[in-house]
Amino acid sequence: MIEVSERIEVPSAPRIVWNLLSDPRAVVDCVPGAALGEQLEDGSYDATLTVKFGPAKVTFRARVALELDSAAMTGQVSSRGKDDQGGTRVKAAMTFKVVEGEAPGSSVIPIDAQVEISGRLASLVESGANLVVKRMTGEFSERLAAKVAGATFVTSDK
Amino acid sequence: MKVYQRLAAAFKAEGTTHVFGIMGDGNMYWMHELDKLGGVKMLEVRHEGAGLGMADGWARVTRTPGIATATCGPGVTQLATALVTAARAQSPLVAFCGEYPSNDDEYNQRLDQAAFAAGCETGFIRINTPDGADDAVRKAFYLAKLESRPIMLSAPMDVQQMTFEDDDEPYKPSSTLLKPRAVQPDPAALEQAADIIAGSKKPVIVVGRGAKWSGAGDAVLKLGERLGALIATTLMAKTWLSESEYHVGVSGTYGTRTAMQLFEEADCVIAVGASMNRYTTEHGYLYPKARFVHVDAKPHLMMSGGRSADCYVQADARAGVEALESLLAKRSVKMTGYRTPEVKKRLPYQYEDRTEFPIEPGTVDPREIVLALDELVPADLNLFTGSGATAGFSNIMFRRQRPVVLASHFFGCIGQMLPAAIGGVVATGNKPAILVDGDASVMMHLAEFETMVRYGVPLLVVCMNNQALGSEYYKLDAHKMKADLATIPTPDLGAVATSFGGRGRLVRSVEDVRAAAKEWLAKPGPMMLDVRISRSVVTLPYRRVHYGRDE
Repeated sequence: MIEVSERIEVPSAPRIVWNLLSDPRAVVDCVPGAALGEQLEDGSYDATLTVKFGPAKVTFRARVALELDSAAMTGQVSSRGKDDQGGTRVKAAMTFKVVEGEAPGSSVIPIDAQVEISGRLASLVESGANLVVKRMTGEFSERLAAKVAGATFVTSDK
Repeated sequence: MKVYQRLAAAFKAEGTTHVFGIMGDGNMYWMHELDKLGGVKMLEVRHEGAGLGMADGWARVTRTPGIATATCGPGVTQLATALVTAARAQSPLVAFCGEYPSNDDEYNQRLDQAAFAAGCETGFIRINTPDGADDAVRKAFYLAKLESRPIMLSAPMDVQQMTFEDDDEPYKPSSTLLKPRAVQPDPAALEQAADIIAGSKKPVIVVGRGAKWSGAGDAVLKLGERLGALIATTLMAKTWLSESEYHVGVSGTYGTRTAMQLFEEADCVIAVGASMNRYTTEHGYLYPKARFVHVDAKPHLMMSGGRSADCYVQADARAGVEALESLLAKRSVKMTGYRTPEVKKRLPYQYEDRTEFPIEPGTVDPREIVLALDELVPADLNLFTGSGATAGFSNIMFRRQRPVVLASHFFGCIGQMLPAAIGGVVATGNKPAILVDGDASVMMHLAEFETMVRYGVPLLVVCMNNQALGSEYYKLDAHKMKADLATIPTPDLGAVATSFGGRGRLVRSVEDVRAAAKEWLAKPGPMMLDVRISRSVVTLPYRRVHYGRDE
């Protein structure tokens, strides 16, 4: 089990940030290597995620479900998937929320994620997977921060 | 004539010229008789397992049965790791083992050797009666060759002393039972394989030991030319066919980053005499888009992950590739494939590893050692590479094609390659060779350096000494645990080698390694280089696996 905790601070008001984060496509856009497919009847989505473990690339096909609580500005993303070769499973759960930041009009987004990789790849990547997931979370946070910061301008322009 | 005399004569008739092992009262009569018959060299070693490891090295180099011997009970239990290793290496091998007397159940050295052999993945034949002596030896050699694995021939001490009646009848060797014939491919399977290949745009040919053994080299190069294919090898066929401009080295964990990037585009893999196990394909992840054509002499082979090739062609590698080539020629299939100027430009630099690491004072960057040795040691000399962390340098960076390039790996154990290299050198008529291995490995069977000295085995043992159990050191470090727990100092192995009667040096610079290697080349003999290497340089596979780096 790989556990990651990140905290992103953005200079936009919580509601503005939340409006952006509650759009699944916008969130998935921030995950490096991820692409969201069709929405299914139960509200979940098909998604693909390509991850580089060393020089080798592995593509996972996953089912992603989002639970969003707009009033509390909290969200849960859960996904489970299998790779193209069929030998590796990945299970991930992520919770995030948007809270007021210290500076007026700013927000903080704490993110907690648990990722479990099992099957053939697990032995292949060993401790490296930990670093790969952490790196991906870092990149996700950066992209999210950039997106939210961008949104501030768009919103204020309107 | 006693049974043991007949057994010795039978071994000689099977073509035995060298026996590796330790004498005990369970095998000494047989050894004594072999000595009397003449023409058989007995190499007394310091550990039975090492003796069997030498026979394994012999078998891997010559593809003829290596012969090991051990006395009953405690001599046999010493064989365990070496037997499993030889079994995994598919080495034809016959181990003549004494067995406790069949009429004494309380004998001190009693052991259920049949059960032991089974646990060690080894075939077992017991000589139960004098009349069965010939059959037992014949069957042992027959099975060793047919099944390509170790066979334990167990001879109870009392049976050995019984009278063999038919001593006027000549022994019929195992070659009278079975003539080797190349398996020819099934035409329908060939057509299907040709369909898959003709429908592809980016083919990779992966060759393994089976292709090398069958002499498929020219056929593979010709097929590669026709298809514009990349040529890759398994670890066990490392550097073979590297005369091709489109050779990309090893397919697998010991592959280069360039090779892995190119493999990702492959839409067809033609595997020849290669098992296509999880290491060669990285569990299939190396070739995400490829269809597989698998040519091998075995009835069928399951690839990594219980997957079968899209088309399996049972055939001797050479016969299979030649047939495939001429069928594709008949269909006028000719492709550019990977063979473009862009790809060609990338390949000469694929082995470069420019990542810098701080080098501790008094140590050498292990990568420089490999590069220096590869350049200095002429290409007609053989190379053996060991196990453990330092194999990650050797198994990628040694590039020159040599008649024999043998990697360790089987059963994942350390310590097995020094014996195998000794056996390999003896098998090639004492042709000088080098072994590059780690310190924990070399220390494990260090006593066999003395065996090298006694028999004048011209092996240069290059010990990449980081004074640690390298694999564990890096794994503990990656897990943020106490890596120092895996550090173990060694004595000056150069001095140890000298006191054993050989030559040796402790070296701390590339210049010293070069000087010592030149000295050895000028006068090859048993020699040990204790090279103190930097621990901060991490091998490419470990950088990928443990530190998640894309290098």
